[in-house]
Amino acid sequence: MAEHIRYNRNRREFLTDCFCGTGSLAFASMMAKAERYNPLAPKPPHFEAKAKSFIFLFQAGGPSHVETFDPKPLLNKLSGQKRPAEFGDVEYQNVNANSRLLGTKRTFARYGQGGIEISDLLPHQQKIADDICVLRGMYGDMVVHSAAQYQLMSGRVIPGFPAMGSWIAYGLGSRADNLPAYVVMPDPHGAPEAGQPMYTNGFLPAVYQPAMFRAGKRPVLNLELPDGVTLERRRKTMELLRAINETNNGEDTEFAARMSAYDTAFKMQTEAPEVFDLASEPQETRDLYGVGKPDTDDYGRRCLLARRLVEKGVRFVCVVAGGGGAETEWDAHSDVEKNHARMASLTDRPTAALVMDLKRRGLLDSTIVLWGGEFGRSPESERGSGRDHHNTGFSMWVAGGGFKGGMAYGATDDIGLKAVQDTMHFRDLHATVLHQMGLSQDQLSYLHQGRRERLTEVHGQIVKAILA
Amino acid sequence: MRFIAAIAVFTGIALAWESVDGFAPLPTYKPAERKHWAFQPRGAVKPPALRDPWVRTPVDAFVLDALRKNGLAPAPAADRITLIRRLTQDLHGLPATPQEVAAFVNDRSPKAYENLVERLLASPRYGERWASHWLDVVRFAESDGYEYDTHRPDAWRYRDYVIHSLNSDKPYNEFLKEQLAGDEINPDNETLTVASGFNRLGPLRKNAGNQEVASSRTEVLTEMTNIVGGALLGVTLGCARCHDHKFDPIRQSDYYRMQGYFAQTQAHDIVVATPEERAAWKATVDPLEKEMTDLRRQMRRATEEKKGEILTKLEALDEKMPLPLTAMYAVRNEPKDMTPIHILGRGDYRNKGERVGMRPPGVLLEDGTPEMPADSAKPRTKLAEWVIDPANPLTARVYVNRLWQNHFGQGIVTTPNDFGRMGTKPTHPELLDFLANRFVEGGWKLKPMHRMILLSSAYRQAGRSPLEKVAAEKDPDNKLLWKFNKRRLSAEEIRDAMLAVSGRLNEKAGGRSVMVSIDPELIKDLKRPQYWQPTKDKTEHDRRTIYLIYKRNLILPFMQVFDSPDTLLSCARRDQSTHAPQALELLNGKVSNDLARSLAGRLFEERKTTPSRIDLAWRLTAGRAPSIKETALALKYLGEAPEDREVWKEFALTLFNMNPFLYVN
Repeated sequence: MAEHIRYNRNRREFLTDCFCGTGSLAFASMMAKAERYNPLAPKPPHFEAKAKSFIFLFQAGGPSHVETFDPKPLLNKLSGQKRPAEFGDVEYQNVNANSRLLGTKRTFARYGQGGIEISDLLPHQQKIADDICVLRGMYGDMVVHSAAQYQLMSGRVIPGFPAMGSWIAYGLGSRADNLPAYVVMPDPHGAPEAGQPMYTNGFLPAVYQPAMFRAGKRPVLNLELPDGVTLERRRKTMELLRAINETNNGEDTEFAARMSAYDTAFKMQTEAPEVFDLASEPQETRDLYGVGKPDTDDYGRRCLLARRLVEKGVRFVCVVAGGGGAETEWDAHSDVEKNHARMASLTDRPTAALVMDLKRRGLLDSTIVLWGGEFGRSPESERGSGRDHHNTGFSMWVAGGGFKGGMAYGATDDIGLKAVQDTMHFRDLHATVLHQMGLSQDQLSYLHQGRRERLTEVHGQIVKAILA
Repeated sequence: MRFIAAIAVFTGIALAWESVDGFAPLPTYKPAERKHWAFQPRGAVKPPALRDPWVRTPVDAFVLDALRKNGLAPAPAADRITLIRRLTQDLHGLPATPQEVAAFVNDRSPKAYENLVERLLASPRYGERWASHWLDVVRFAESDGYEYDTHRPDAWRYRDYVIHSLNSDKPYNEFLKEQLAGDEINPDNETLTVASGFNRLGPLRKNAGNQEVASSRTEVLTEMTNIVGGALLGVTLGCARCHDHKFDPIRQSDYYRMQGYFAQTQAHDIVVATPEERAAWKATVDPLEKEMTDLRRQMRRATEEKKGEILTKLEALDEKMPLPLTAMYAVRNEPKDMTPIHILGRGDYRNKGERVGMRPPGVLLEDGTPEMPADSAKPRTKLAEWVIDPANPLTARVYVNRLWQNHFGQGIVTTPNDFGRMGTKPTHPELLDFLANRFVEGGWKLKPMHRMILLSSAYRQAGRSPLEKVAAEKDPDNKLLWKFNKRRLSAEEIRDAMLAVSGRLNEKAGGRSVMVSIDPELIKDLKRPQYWQPTKDKTEHDRRTIYLIYKRNLILPFMQVFDSPDTLLSCARRDQSTHAPQALELLNGKVSNDLARSLAGRLFEERKTTPSRIDLAWRLTAGRAPSIKETALALKYLGEAPEDREVWKEFALTLFNMNPFLYVN
């Protein structure tokens, strides 16, 4: 909406705008301006940025904190009993007053110089212990998938608000002119509960919507020439289009911007496929990610692709692990052991590989890697050996991008029920990652129907303790 | 204040709620808070007395007066070719055919333009185009959103209701009353019940497991309340859900008193399926239901371990359930199940504060105007009557502003859902009041308003001004209308135009929405992919875009790249963004390539030589003959392979991508 854009225009864009429609300038210089008019042109951050890019390894369905990063010896002791009253109450989807606590079969040990405790479910992530900062005091407001996923992605428990990736693209623009600024790589098993609206631009202009990189032969919709059209023919078509448009008020800025968008599109079409070509990676790197191994091939490819995208200047990449139903997500309502062993076998190696690979290439300092789901899992059992959704205390981790490594921050109570110490709401996490990207949560706003909307809705706390 | 007085009479049934413990006191407002322009009664405005032949309808006097005061002048009139394209896209969302263009250009009648406007307004295509503006504002969609995104197979009835209302020029006050309270007016009238489905248009969260009834109910009430604020009143009422409005004089208690009108409102599905459909549905559902009942019975005496297994089975059965039987989505009052309305701390259903009854926002009433008890009869009729009260300062202004925006590209108030302090001030405040007065005095009919605007000289201006340079400096956003604003076609218009010019458009009106064939990868993005069942009759796939299903969790990529709204929040005005994925969609996408092939076929069928095919191609897509330069370019491109259909398809595709096709001047 024009009025809204105006609020956030920077001075250069404003000056560009003032030239609109003067009609007296040569086409070439209008083209140059049109490029500057490109809404995805890189924009300066609000203050010095620690990170230029962001990879979110979204563990859809909600991995259990007590099986991964948050050891609870007392929970094992109390296994089979009802929750002692002193821990208080929380709302659940299925767990009720008759439910019994469930100990974990996993064993924890300390890893790295920081001595972070990680379970044997994630042997590969144990190796990156000194690069990650485990956030054990996470909490959100919703105990159902869709609403919790919206809150994780967009700061709101209802759909219709822009996702993190859209906000960041809006705030910083793109560093690559042949790739989108914001990419989502969904899990080929299917969609997580919140579906398409959780990734999208909401009321931000359509230019900030994500590019979906899907599995299969055509990873990006419309990036390939239609059947039967040669590149040579398409070049001629583009020339014809340009020539026709130039005869029709070609000097108009908006028209010039449109032509520039066609140039960008053509560039994407011819240059982007290169980024998908993982064969150009050394065998050692592909092995590191588990590419070619049945379990890890899919997620490994997507993690490796995420690194390649970040290398080329993509701002935000969301790699989704989980989708298509409880069995193929971290949504372990029944048999948490079986479910998590499976999910870990698909994701653990590639996850660790991504951090290691970014680090050895010198990219980790400028790339935030965030791992986690929309919530954790209940200390009580559901359906015997499963666990219910659990939003009042769970774990995520963050690495690179100026975050401290080798530390655990925050804590839940002794059975993992509630976050009790150094707690972090999603909005605190959002405020902190934006800060590392050089964006102020207040300045990064958009006037929508009378409200200056922002990712954090209510002001989030920047958690300085986890910043290097 | 007239309106305040009127309201005092209207809500005169003062009951002694104020004295009851636990009820919130009525807020008061400072005089300064009441002063905001939009809350003032409309002025009795007369058009400036200008003796100038440019003034054709009263709106011209206002526009010209403002231009002159700023040292500006209007642009000359646009030519007929431009005008017919502009009008046809504006009123029908379709390109004018070459025959229509020729007829208008050669029409010697002094009333040629007027006759054109009348022809366009009288066509049913008008309702199909203008319905889309309204559907954006009320966030119409045909699925629930959230995780199941369950389809609402009969939501099309509301869409058709809107189209018919527009085509029959139903007065706007009736239109609103039917939507807010159709079921209260007459529960046995199908049109009215369908209209009342307005109250259920918002997204709806359904969860497995514990249903969190209170939380869901709060969300339902929130959806019902907020839309009245933004869409009908142009007030960001929703901002006062969690705390007093930060910028406008709307207290949190005002918000919940508005919610009070919906306290008795419950969803009401009226099944309209045929006996055969019912039988088929029952045949599928009954065995599932039986199995589920058995499982639930077993559950009662099962061990915890066993319970889990049963629950998993139950969920699997639920996934198999077919779509609900087709039903009219209506509402009705269920006074016995009335939700007591409390002021909720931070908007959280668990933080119940004082109770409230129902009352419009206090800043529009006299201090102390009593509220009515929430169990009053016909609560939404009372709300509707207040909304459409001729003295309501907001309703008519907000709507005529939408009309203006949809004709000129921007409103007199450029924030159409926000007439509050955070919104923009009207560029022509007197014009806004004049239009609103005329609208109300004319019986809230839309078509006379369209006429007054479309017949004006302001609307007939060219898209470029000889004084461009000076004017652009003084008024870069063209707020004063010193020329006509060009606009890019909307997503619907682009697809409809490609269908029309390629000869494929299926003009069938109304009825069940169409699901087109889409990339299988897109269906994978759905939690319940089984809901996407492409319509079997392929000719249906070529219907106007307004008849394609609007599914919340699957906005079609073609629509999405061209700024189609997400249907989750009210969209007051669409963006016109320009970005690379649009180019990729139009050059490489299946929709455009398929239709380009048809256009190429049409050119071959209807014309025999390359130059005459080129001529027809331009007349279809640009509404005019090609220029000499354009013909030369086309001849050069096609000359290498004048009979190669693939090259012609690429040529047709070029036309779909060229500015004269994508923009209206």
